[in-house]
Amino acid sequence: MFLSVGVRFEANVEALNMVETAGNYTKHRRVPYLVEEDRKLKTIYVPAISGESLAHAYQWSLVKEALAMNLPVCEDCAKGEFFKSMNKAHLKKKINPIPDDSKKIEAAIIKSCIIEDVGGFLYAEKPPVRRSSAFQVSYALPIKSMALFATAEPQLHARHAQMDAKGKKGNVSEQMIYYVETGTALYGFTFNLDLDAIGVSSLGAGPIIPEEEIKARREASLKALFRMLSSAQFGAKLSRFFPVGGITELTVVVTEHPFVVTSPIYDSYVERTKKRLEVIKEAFGEDYFFDSTNEVPEETLRKAIEYLKEKGYI
Amino acid sequence: MVSLISFLKVEVRPTGIIALRSLPQSKMRNAFRYPPPSTLIGALAYPLLHIAGDRTETLEPRRNARSSADRIRPLIEWATVKVSGMPRVYGSILKINRLHRRSVESAVTSFPMAVMYGESDYTLTLLYLLNDDLISASEFSVKDFERAAWGISRLGSRESVVSVESVELGKGTIMEKEMAETAYAFLLTGKKVQGGGVVQGVVDWKEGIGNYSKARIIVMFYPEGKVEVEGRLKVIDVGEEVVL
Ligand SMILES: [Zn+2]
Repeated sequence: MFLSVGVRFEANVEALNMVETAGNYTKHRRVPYLVEEDRKLKTIYVPAISGESLAHAYQWSLVKEALAMNLPVCEDCAKGEFFKSMNKAHLKKKINPIPDDSKKIEAAIIKSCIIEDVGGFLYAEKPPVRRSSAFQVSYALPIKSMALFATAEPQLHARHAQMDAKGKKGNVSEQMIYYVETGTALYGFTFNLDLDAIGVSSLGAGPIIPEEEIKARREASLKALFRMLSSAQFGAKLSRFFPVGGITELTVVVTEHPFVVTSPIYDSYVERTKKRLEVIKEAFGEDYFFDSTNEVPEETLRKAIEYLKEKGYI
Repeated sequence: MVSLISFLKVEVRPTGIIALRSLPQSKMRNAFRYPPPSTLIGALAYPLLHIAGDRTETLEPRRNARSSADRIRPLIEWATVKVSGMPRVYGSILKINRLHRRSVESAVTSFPMAVMYGESDYTLTLLYLLNDDLISASEFSVKDFERAAWGISRLGSRESVVSVESVELGKGTIMEKEMAETAYAFLLTGKKVQGGGVVQGVVDWKEGIGNYSKARIIVMFYPEGKVEVEGRLKVIDVGEEVVL
């Protein structure tokens, strides 16, 4: 089973994905938006949030969900440090001595950590072992019809500098000023989750954990998405730049084999997705789940989880 | 003698960004503007193996690790792409701070990617020429290939999510010609081109997909719009357009 989700969310005054810091200026991630003017391409930079940033948030939700369900999470991942068994030092915490059989290495990692099972890993020693992530996230970009209204503006902030005992200023000014760029946009992004990859070897060794645990891990992966979207716990600087806004539209599709919702950056994405699903059903006799809402996103996610439960999949 | 070949024409929409690292396993920050054939085959292999219930990603991990896409490589004669609009390669500068032996180190890097995001709606048309004989002798059917095409979910790295908007399965006639017009990418060697485009060196996927450290490089031409090509051409008509 394959889950594909299209999300549109409004985020005003957000600092969800910051990139470089030059002196006292912290910049928001941006991407070029190409506009044609008099048959010439012009570039406008709009705020963006990388898929990597969303993926981190998703995996962090998965840690919490997994721990609540008593599923294994390794020491590194439990701290939110997603090293993913990248070298001997990290792998040794899972299996010691390290075997020289890649299938044994893979099995040890998958058994001891759901995050690396779902989010993939790369053990870059000899023999190298890699596993692709079972989920995929696109960049969150301003939806196209409103991209030109998206902005990134620096906000001035002040921080007190420490004075010496006599209150003399010396060379230090009393206040340090700094700037944080905040973005405002209606964003859209796509999230895919390949549920069939969970708990199964990517080296051709079949299921690595018992069926019951695979089902539990699938459920945890879905709940993690639920929690991430519903709590809006993604991106950076949430403690002071928690964006004003929320999910405005959510579309969820579950199919037997891979199928991706049309990106919500396009205005007609819901209708297009629906039409394409009909083609799949007609041509291949494949069942699907589809739901879309601009009211209560949690309801749509709940229905998708119910559908998978009915199918005996979780 | 007229010979026919099956083709799959797959129209995909990007989610705005396509990240194609030109050397997958290296730290070199380089990006392709257009997806090379190996990426196109990998993109189709993933849903195809999903249908087959095969979760293998890496073949022969011990010796010469290859991608499982290599399993379906012989079934595909050729893979090419047509891109509407001009993608732009863009890499935002990142500053990375890390703690190393108790001191803070700082480095500047960037992750370039092809941006297909703007006023116009970009589409990529992926075109696969299938080897019918080998497919009918394999565990897959052409119908499986058609469903797999609907399931293409990304091109390149995991941020490059795409959605498939239409799939057309058809038969094309192979013709020998001296001159043709095409918007699809083709092998440049031995051909004269009139029109704009980008030349990209890509790995020779016929030699195997997955381990590129010793792979041969082939030169592809990615047209911007339609170009005129001269040479000893093998041309396949795929509806209103031709592929070389
Ligand atoms: Zn872990």
